This record gives sequence, structure tokens and C-alpha cells, in this order.
Amino acid sequence: MGMLAWVMMGLALWHFTIWLPDRYWGGIVGAFIGALAGAALFGLVISGFHIPGRHDTHLATALEAIPGALIGMALVYAEGLRRERSGGRGGIGLN
Amino acid sequence: MSDRQRNSFVLLLVLGLLLASLVVIAGIPGAVKPQKTRLGLDLKGGVELVYQGKPTPQTPVVTPDALSRAVDIMRQRVDQLGVAEPQIQTTGNDISASLPAVNNIARAEKLVGSTARLYFYDWEANAITPNGKPVASQLQAQDPNAVLISQGSQSGAGGSPGAPGAGSMSLYDAVKLAAKQPVLASSDNARDGPQYYLFGAPGSAACATAAKDQGKVPVVGAHCLLSGPTDNLGDLQAGIPAGVTAAQGQQLVVPRGTVVLLAVPANFARPTPISDPNAQFYVLKDHISLLGSDITNPQQSTDSAGSPDVSFGFTSKGKNEFQTVTAAIAKRGALVGSISSALNQHFAVALDNQLITVPSIDSKLYPDGIPGDTGADITGGFTISTAQDLATQLRLGALPINLKLISESQVSATLGKQALNQGLIAGVVGLALVAIFLLAFYRVLGLIATAGLLVYGIYFYALIKLIPITLTLPGIAGLILTIGVAADANVVIFERVKEEIRAGRTIRQGIITGYRKGLTAIIDANVVTIMTAFILFVLATAEVKGFAFTLGIGTIVSLFTAVMATQAILMTMGNSRTISRPSALGAGGKQRHWRFDFMGASRYFFSMSGVILLVGALAVGGKGLNLGIDFTSGTRITTGLVQNPSAQQVTSVVTAAGAKGPIVQKVTGDKALGTNGFQISAKQLQPAGVASVRSALLSHFGILNNGSNFNATSVGPTFGQTVANSALIAIIASLLVITGYVALRFEWKFAVPVLIALMHDLLITSGVYSLTGREVTTATVAALLTILGYSLYDTIIVFDRVRENIPRMPRAAFSQIVNRSMSEVMTRSIATTSCTLVPILALLLFGGATLQDFAFALLIGVASGAYSSIFIASPVLTHWKERELLYRTRRHRIETEAGHVPAYATSAADIEPQSKRPRREGRLTTPEPETVSAAEFERMKRELEIEPELSTRHTSTLTKRLSHTDQPTATPPAKPAPAARPKPASEGGSPPAPAPDIPENEGMAQVPPKPKSPSKSRPRNRRHGRRR
Repeated sequence: MGMLAWVMMGLALWHFTIWLPDRYWGGIVGAFIGALAGAALFGLVISGFHIPGRHDTHLATALEAIPGALIGMALVYAEGLRRERSGGRGGIGLN
Repeated sequence: MSDRQRNSFVLLLVLGLLLASLVVIAGIPGAVKPQKTRLGLDLKGGVELVYQGKPTPQTPVVTPDALSRAVDIMRQRVDQLGVAEPQIQTTGNDISASLPAVNNIARAEKLVGSTARLYFYDWEANAITPNGKPVASQLQAQDPNAVLISQGSQSGAGGSPGAPGAGSMSLYDAVKLAAKQPVLASSDNARDGPQYYLFGAPGSAACATAAKDQGKVPVVGAHCLLSGPTDNLGDLQAGIPAGVTAAQGQQLVVPRGTVVLLAVPANFARPTPISDPNAQFYVLKDHISLLGSDITNPQQSTDSAGSPDVSFGFTSKGKNEFQTVTAAIAKRGALVGSISSALNQHFAVALDNQLITVPSIDSKLYPDGIPGDTGADITGGFTISTAQDLATQLRLGALPINLKLISESQVSATLGKQALNQGLIAGVVGLALVAIFLLAFYRVLGLIATAGLLVYGIYFYALIKLIPITLTLPGIAGLILTIGVAADANVVIFERVKEEIRAGRTIRQGIITGYRKGLTAIIDANVVTIMTAFILFVLATAEVKGFAFTLGIGTIVSLFTAVMATQAILMTMGNSRTISRPSALGAGGKQRHWRFDFMGASRYFFSMSGVILLVGALAVGGKGLNLGIDFTSGTRITTGLVQNPSAQQVTSVVTAAGAKGPIVQKVTGDKALGTNGFQISAKQLQPAGVASVRSALLSHFGILNNGSNFNATSVGPTFGQTVANSALIAIIASLLVITGYVALRFEWKFAVPVLIALMHDLLITSGVYSLTGREVTTATVAALLTILGYSLYDTIIVFDRVRENIPRMPRAAFSQIVNRSMSEVMTRSIATTSCTLVPILALLLFGGATLQDFAFALLIGVASGAYSSIFIASPVLTHWKERELLYRTRRHRIETEAGHVPAYATSAADIEPQSKRPRREGRLTTPEPETVSAAEFERMKRELEIEPELSTRHTSTLTKRLSHTDQPTATPPAKPAPAARPKPASEGGSPPAPAPDIPENEGMAQVPPKPKSPSKSRPRNRRHGRRR
């Protein structure tokens, strides 16, 4: 149940990346991966690498995913920016 | 074969199959009997038992072969019950047995699912005294406990060896003693792992709570059994009563090599349950001497006193082993006989965990053991019925694996009948609403589609009878959903036909082209649905299988009726007056043309989805999902009572009958349950417990329909895990298959947005379930899995048009291609979604509880799927594709020329004439680019009545321009000639626009047509495309 809350939160936050310039490494799909992976990993770290079960999942569990998703997307954005400045565009999604 | 011949052949085939179907359904009086419809338990009542196969020392791995043998034995046992049309099937390691018209769930469970493993033990060599030593080793020392266990109690209080009071002990003492024994793993063990128990201390709060929970008075001064015995800690935890924690109890583990057996019961008709505080036990070393498979021909007979017993013979191997063990016992008897002639020696017969008898061996009469040629008898407190049942179990043989009952349900015939009626009403209403929709929007085409739907319904009903398919409630849901699928296929084609006709094709040509072009999208969409149904059928639980099977078969049949049959009918009617006017096909007016900037607005829709998901995530975190007993385990009973007791009164009665922590709710508005319907939810009850509750309700309040209006479902803790695991595997498998298929048919970049959109749909559905607090059942899981296949339908329709438009718009930005594609298919998408939602709504409104479970999840999923196809999948695809060099170059060029990228390509600059025909790239399965050959154009031109001189010039231009290539151009395009812009129809003198597969709409240069005489001109709708 905890993982469901984290993934939902990550996906929810990813939707708002549409308002930002497309400088993510891998574009919108890169941001998607960053948000979901960040939310899930951060949630796991906060919970001591244990996925909260049905009775251990609370409102805070869902909120725990927010920093993770933001960090994940920020990292993908930073990498995209770095690659853009170094002369190319992101890896994923480019021919 | 000409078109006419082909159409005639298809029509004859349709009629032939229709006749055959009618014969299957109704039969021919005096010649062919109509086939019976096989109804599932949920529609006609009965008992369903679901077991999980577990390994034994003799069968260490649960193989398909072992499962198959178990099913064979269970089937023979079911035959003994006299059940008509039983169904026993396997799913993974689970076996489900459906027994229609069986009311006694306890007897059915005992006869069908009991392992019936018979073991023979050398009694004195294996029985353990309280000091932990075997009885045999202490007989010579005349240890009082050893003598008592060996010889039984000589006083009136005790009994013969193995009986209660003859050295037996309480469960706690027995388990404590057994837990101290070392692990003795060997091939002659009856059990292959440890066994777990949880006890409460005498007078503890845990015992008081547990006793209160069970409606019993705690036994003073004795430990109470809180949970167990189980073969794993998870089940032990799940069995703890409400209000008690594991920390409050004492956990004991009986290691492998030691068994705790119930003492021989005084009456086999009413054996003492293990949880009874008065039950008595013996502890034995687990070294079996003989197995039930070593005996032959067991049957009920009578002993010399005329009491019922069970007699049997031995196999040749059994004879030898029986003689060996009895010889060893006789030898020991002779040894201890030197001390006391009264010390007879014994062997014990145990059935599963219950001692059956402990007979003695006369060492003087059989000093070399009993040969076994004349067989043996099992005597005891049998009635004729219990002796017959034991003989039957022994005759059919022990199951090769252990079976653990993980779910059981009992449905009354009344409820089943009501569910069937509700399902049929929902189906008829769904079909009628879809027919009305089709007739309103497509007129004659709608009539033909409705005829196609009726033919589909008849075919499918005949198939249900012919295969035969067991019709269950989930199956009915699948059937009703396929009505939507069949209608969708027609909508996709009809919209295309209308598009072609409005673009100027003749009606006949429009039909041919519409079917040809619509078919690709339909096949793509339906193949995915069929694949998902197949995965569901292979991986899902039994309940979902019926749904998956009907969905899969229905989709295949609907492809035939909705595509081939309707096309043949239409083509045959092609020259008739009925469809001589476009208005007859619903193509008379102007086409609804969407000029919405879908991609530009996508950020708002993205944000809306984000907010919905955010709320959903908070709801999942804060409220969680309301998981039904399928996942949480427990027992749910619904019953219609004769009297009208209060909920409190019902609670008292069922608690006294053994229900733990019951929650009783009055049910109103359910015709099957009458005016005094009740739903009772409690912790999991075993079949005997359910029978006890039923008896209590019957005796206190009376049960409608002579006691048969009683429905019970019990689910063990592992069943939910099984459902969840199978669902997870099915989701992963479906996603992999969908990804592979979309990547193969489109390109791999199209697969990623599809996956994101599917994830969006599933999570939004989960969020809605959390927000509404609606119960999540196995039906919900099946519906979620169906959403995977079905929400893809719209996405594929949109992507199919994008794929079609990419080569047509070789200079347009990807967002412009997608915008145009969306504007072209929006009407179609709305129509297909409506066609699917209409029968789902009928299910939601008219179906019973189970069908409503399906319908609610499908409603949310399909609506979300339609939305995500347009506002999630397509924008993601656009954003991703726009990053490609080709589209970056185009976007840059358009921005340089126009200052911005318009939502729709507005000029000829967006089309680059091509100098050569495109070289086919990629896989063979990649659809051909939509181009028009010179010959085809000439034919089209004749149809459009274009003047020869104009068409000549036009042909050459078009031929060049339609020879697209995917090669990106880095050079600036030629400036579009002003004349290239087509004039609006309102300006008059508008040239006849080519069909939609001609890229005139992208601003291609056109030569002004020569004015035609008014008699030859034909008003056409020309708003399609970039005209502003």
C-alpha cells in the first residue's frame, strides 16, 4: 500500500513538469522515470528499506514521496541541462 | 474471387452460421435437442471450495502431475456426493471445486478436500511419555506413564490405548512436550516441516479476549489455543483473534519428526475439535510404518458384535510391510511379556491428525507378525455413515499432496437466480441502448450494425452452449463488455466511411475505403484486448477466468460480425436506393470538425490529472483501500431470515455459534433475501463453523426457502495473497505484451506513452476507489486488468491516425500532426467511448452486487482511458518526438518563417513535395504509408467528376507530392504559392477536395479548377483540413 501511495504521488507531481522548459535528460519520459524512481527510493529510505503495509500506510507515507519525486526530477533536469550546455541533448528519446 | 462473389460467400456463411446457432440454441423438434446452458455456481447456487496444494514428504514438490492426480481423486469423491456437473479445475497450485446444488458445505469439504492420508505407527515405539522418552523403552522399567499409554487405563475413568484418559494430555502439554523434541527429518515422516501454535496463559487477558471473541467462557487454570496449528508463521499471525496480539501469547513450534495426534474419538460422527479445551492428545515420533496406499479394497462392514467397521486388504508390498511391523511388535511383546503377560503391544492407525484405532498384536498367536493375507479391520465408534465415508476416502486413495482450504463459498439457488436475472436485464438494456445510439448516429449503417450485434449475440450464445462455457456472473460482465467492443468496431469503420463519403467518394467507394482503412486500427485494438484476455485466462484466479474467456471469445466473434458480416451486407446493398444518399448513412450534414489546440491545452489537462492523482495519493495514504474479504480473509454470510430479529439479537446468536468478532448489518432492497436480510462479517470460519452458524440462525430465527436462503463465503489469509500475486503477474505480463505489440505495430517510442497512460488509468481508478471507500474485490482486480487491454483502444485509434498522418505531413511539426490527428478522430473517440460506457452503465444500474463491482471499476477505467488517450498519451508522445532532430528541424523552420508554430499546419510550406517514392523501412508489419497511386487517383478523379485538363495537371502534381519520404529536410522549403491556399467553400468556386488520404489539406499547391456547369457540380463538405 505504501508503494502505491509513493508511486501515485510521484506520478501526480510529474504531471506538473509540463509547465517547465523541456530540458530534462530524456525529455518528459526522463522526468517521468526520475519522479517515480525518486519517489519510490526516497520512500524506501525514509521507511528503512521497508514497504509500509496496509495498516502502516498513513497520510505522511504519501507525503514522504514528495521530496523524493522532486529530487528525482531535479537530478534529471540538471543532467539534461548539463548535457545541453555541453553541446548535445538528452540521451533518451533522441535518434 | 470478385467482390460480388466474396460478399455472397460471406453472407451465405453468416446465414449458415446463424442457422446452425439457432439449431444449437433451440434445437429441432423431434430431431435435435437444444444444448443446455451450463451455469456457474453464482447463477444456480452451490458450494465452491478453493484449495492450495502443499508438498508432502512423499511429494516434496507440487507438480502439475500431482495436482492432476489430486483432481482425479477429488472428482471421484465428488461423484460419491452425487453432484451433477461438478467442476474441478486448477490454477497454478490452487484447485477449485464447484459443487452445484450442494447445501452441506461441511460434509462436502470433509469428503472432497480432506487429505485422507492413512498412517500406521508402531504405537509403543513411537508414543512418547511426558518425560520425553518412547513408551517401548520404559516398559521393562514399568514406568507408570509408559504402561498407561501402552495398555490404557484399567479404571473406569480411562479407556483403551489411544483413547482420552489413557495417558493422553491437553493440547498445551502435548505441544510443549513435542516442542522439546529434536528435529528428526527422515523419509518416513508424515509431515515435512514444523508446526506452529500460539497459546494464551491461564487466566490471561488474551484468553479472556479470545473466549469472548468466540462467545465462550474461558477455562480456568488452563492454557487456551489462540492460533494454530499452522505450517507457517504468517497463517499463525492471521489466525490470532481480534484484540489479541502475538506478543500476548506463547508461541510453540513442533519440529519435524514429531506429531501431535488427537486421541481416538468416542464417536466418529462428532469428533472433538482441536480447539475444544477438553480435547486430548498424544505425542508420537513421526516414523510411519505403513501408508494408506498400501491397503486395498476398503469397505464398510460389521464386526463380530454387529457394529459398523471398515475392513480392507493389503497390497503385496503392504502385506510385507504389515508383517514386518507386526512381527517387530510381536517380538517386543514377547520380550515385555516375560515381565508381565498383560503388556500387550499395539500398532496405531491415524487418519491425517486423528488417531482412528490402536489395536493390539497377540505375540503368542502371531510371533512372526500378521501375514496380512486376510486383511484387517478398523473398529471403533463408527456409525454406518462415518464408516462408509472413511471407506470411501480410503478406497479413492489419499491425495498425493496436502490441501489447504483457502476459500469457500456457498450460494443459495435463490440468490443465483436473481443474479442471473439481473445480468440478463443488464445485457438486454445495454444492447438496446447501444442499438439506439447506433441508429441515431448512423441511420442505415446503425441498423446494419444493430443487426450485426444481434447476430453476434446469437453466435455467442450458441458458442456458450456448444463449447460449453460455464456462464458465471463475471462471464456475463465480459459478454456485456463485448457488446461495446463489437459496437466500437462498427463505429470506427462507420466514422471512416462517413469521412470518405463526405470527402467526395461515392457511397460504394466510401464503404470500401472506409472498411479498408478502419480495419488496421480495429485489428490493432482488438488484438491487444484478446492478448490481455488470454493473459488473464492463463494467470488469473478461477473467478476471473470466466470473465477473460468470454471477453476473448466475444472479441474474436465480434470481429467477424462487426467487420466481415456488416461489410458484406453493406456491399450487397451498395447499389440499392436505401443507401443511395449520404444522409441515409449519417454523412449528409457537415462533419463535426474539431479545431481545438489539443497539444497547447494539454498542460491544463496534465495539471488536472496531476491534481486528481495528488488527491488520490493522499487518499490512498490517509484512507487506504477498502479491501474486501478476498484480501483480508474472513467469512461473510448473507441470509434471509423468517423472523425479524434485531442486529444485536443476530450478533448474540452467531457469536454463541462460534463466529468471531461478527459485524451484523441488515440488508434492505435485496429481493432474494426478502425483508429480513442480514449480512454477517466475521473472522474466517471453517466449514463446520459456517454450518454451526447456519444451524443457530435456522433454529433461532428460521431461514427462508426451507433453510436454503443462506450464502456464505470464507476466505483464508493466503487466498488474498494468491489473488494479489496473480494480478501482479498478469499486469506485468500484459504490460510487456502491450509494449511489444505497440512497438511492433507502431514504433517503440509509441509504446512508452501508452504505458504511462495505462499507469495513469490504473492509478486514477485506485484513487477513486480509495476516495469513495468502495470495496476492492477480486472482481475489481479483474476489471483493473481489463482496463489494461481496453483503455488502449482509444489510444490505438489516435496513434493509428498519427501514424497515418506522419507521412502525409512531411514538413509539419509533430504537435501539428497530432493536433490534426486528434481533430480527425475526436468524434470517433467520443462515439466509441460512449458505445462502451453505455453497456457498462447498464451493468452498474441493473447488475447485481458482483456485476456492479466490475462495472464501477470499468466505468472509471474506460472513461479515464479515453481521457488519457487524448490528453496524456498523445502529449507525451508529442513532447518526446519533438525532441527528435527531424522534428526539431521542422519546428525551427516553422518558427523562423512564421514566428511561432501554429496549432495546425496552415500553409503549403508544411508539405514538402517528394522526388521519389519512399523506400520501405522497418519491419514488414509496418503499415504502408497512406498514398494514392496515379491509377487510383485517376479513378478517384472520375468519381469526383474533375475536368480532364485539370486532373491531368493535378495528377502529376499529386503523384509527386504523395511520393513521400521520411528523410528530414534541412534545407528551407520553397515558399508556398499564394494560390496554393484553398479557398473557403463560402467564397464560391471551391475546387472539389480530394479524399482525406490526399494531403491537400496540408496546403499542397493546387491548380484552380475549371468552372463546372452547375448541373455537374456537387456540394461537398470541404472544411476538412487547414482551411482557415
